[in-house]
Amino acid sequence: MGNALIPVKKTLLLLLVVVCSITTGGPFLWVAALSLRTTPEILDHPYRFPLHPHFEKFVSAWTHSNYGLYFWNSTLVVVTAVVIVTLLGAMAAHGLVRYPFRGNRGVRFLILSGMMLPPQMLILSLFQIMFNMGLYNTLGGLVLVYVATQLPMTIYILESFFAHIPQDLFDAAKLDGYADFEIFWRIALPIGTPAVFTTGLLNFIMLWNEFLYAVVLLTDNSKRTLPLGIMFFMGGHQIDVGMVATGLIIAILPVLLLYTCFSETMIKGMTAGAVR
Amino acid sequence: MAVVKADRLCKEYKGHADLAVKDVSFTVADGEFMVLLGPSGCGKTSILRMIAGLEPITSGDLLLNGKRINDVPAKDRDIAMVFQSYALYPHMDVYSNLAFGLRRRGFPPAEIDRRVTATAAKLAMVPYLKRKPMALSGGQRQRVALGRAIVREPQVFLFDEPLSNLDAAARFTTRNELIKQQKELGTTTIYVTHDQVEAMTMGHRICILNHGELVQIGRPLEVYQSPADTFVARFLGNPQMNMLKGTVALNDGGAFLHVAGSSIELAAQALPELRKYAGSAVIVGVRPEDLYEHEPAALLERLVRIPARVIAVEPLGAETLLMLALPDSKEEIIARVGRQTGVRSGDTTTVALDTAALHLFDPATKVAIPYFRR
Repeated sequence: MGNALIPVKKTLLLLLVVVCSITTGGPFLWVAALSLRTTPEILDHPYRFPLHPHFEKFVSAWTHSNYGLYFWNSTLVVVTAVVIVTLLGAMAAHGLVRYPFRGNRGVRFLILSGMMLPPQMLILSLFQIMFNMGLYNTLGGLVLVYVATQLPMTIYILESFFAHIPQDLFDAAKLDGYADFEIFWRIALPIGTPAVFTTGLLNFIMLWNEFLYAVVLLTDNSKRTLPLGIMFFMGGHQIDVGMVATGLIIAILPVLLLYTCFSETMIKGMTAGAVR
Repeated sequence: MAVVKADRLCKEYKGHADLAVKDVSFTVADGEFMVLLGPSGCGKTSILRMIAGLEPITSGDLLLNGKRINDVPAKDRDIAMVFQSYALYPHMDVYSNLAFGLRRRGFPPAEIDRRVTATAAKLAMVPYLKRKPMALSGGQRQRVALGRAIVREPQVFLFDEPLSNLDAAARFTTRNELIKQQKELGTTTIYVTHDQVEAMTMGHRICILNHGELVQIGRPLEVYQSPADTFVARFLGNPQMNMLKGTVALNDGGAFLHVAGSSIELAAQALPELRKYAGSAVIVGVRPEDLYEHEPAALLERLVRIPARVIAVEPLGAETLLMLALPDSKEEIIARVGRQTGVRSGDTTTVALDTAALHLFDPATKVAIPYFRR
């Protein structure tokens, strides 16, 4: 009876995988096809395969529309934010796990409550604060906002990983003569590398695609990040669909590359416990 | 040269009504191997962690060479500890694990290399210096953990049940290795275990703890032969000491102990202590090895034979355990006899009891009463 059910179960699972793949991969493949076709071609036949691919569109997108500058801005903001948020998050997670202090639970709740609020709720007050502090329309300001928004999730993931590192390792390091910060730097952080790397990668992907804070807090063209750059292919009256698609593919490339190279490490980091 | 003195040490954990360690005092002499023995939750690991500096001391004093070290941080105590889980740094190879403590203490690289290599050679770990802990067997990891303690040449070694994660064979060899290393180095050692075999074979002295209190301290055989109370008597020895009901009778002819249907005449020197038990019950302890199936000629005059029914026979290879029911009192006892025993389950037999090897305990306080057979 149980064995007879296995093929049915397998078929259902396979069907689910196929449906998921089509719904997530389909739109992406469609945009990839659009990126190699011109707008008039697309308007004639939206779903056609690019039989005569226009690779020159990538060169034109990069050279004619400040893509180099947007790319550099995105890299600067995202990499800086990811480095800061990863280090701060790791320290906070280690502190919350290893040093039970009065009010520990309250602090944890305050930090994690940051994950519950939708960004739309914060945007007005955030705009006002940034404006008053002279951080409006600066890349540094955006870095700060990115660090603040990604910190709760980073702490949440790292805390559960760090909690699984045996206390004995920290005690052994103490007896070996090391002080608290050295123990974090030389024991907790290296052992937590899989989780630290995973949160770094997740944060990179999320921030690289971030649009809302960037569009509200940056107005100067020379400071725009990639997602804003793509918006510029959309004119007031008509949309250059072909170029938007090309811009999107250029923007996605780094994330795609990172994910292709490190997807296995990422999954391992999310699922593995600490090494005993 | 290191003398560790615990003076009325107490440990209280938040949220627990009872003290985990209550007024424990002992002194470990220079070069001595002291074993803290007791069941889980008896406070032995708490004591060790207080000595290491990993737990704050609630009250009492801890002295190292006469100097109070209650408030000295763990990193400055010059004490090394081997953990039950080995606690090897998983991201470092064996060499770095051994060198980690020396690097922090600012030793020059050449000296670090000399010490690490010498320690690895001593523990036969040279071929594994470049391996990560994950690639080592349990016994090898244990040796690295020991090496990490040795390489620093600390004043005191602390061991927290270091053999409990090893299989029986590795446990035997590592135990002997530890004894050998400690003897060679002569470093003062405090060793925590719940395993009586480790305690009996390794320690110069054993400190037995129960419910956070020190029950008895002494040399292994001394404690085994003269347990301070029924807890120690049962805790040491496998199978446990048999506990029988006995009564003390005093009459004109002298003092007599009635147990298992036999009457044993007691010596005059036992009288002062036994007078208060006259006519009342006492607990009589008999170790399984003090019951004989065949009477040894040398002990004949000390033996009394008691009738028993065999409930079960457990041949262990080198010896056989007999589970016996005493018909008069319905008490059950275990006798350790030779492997060649002919008795079977259900048989009625007699076993000889060595009356010189009995132990008496107060039924209320469970504390030992001096016993002298005439």
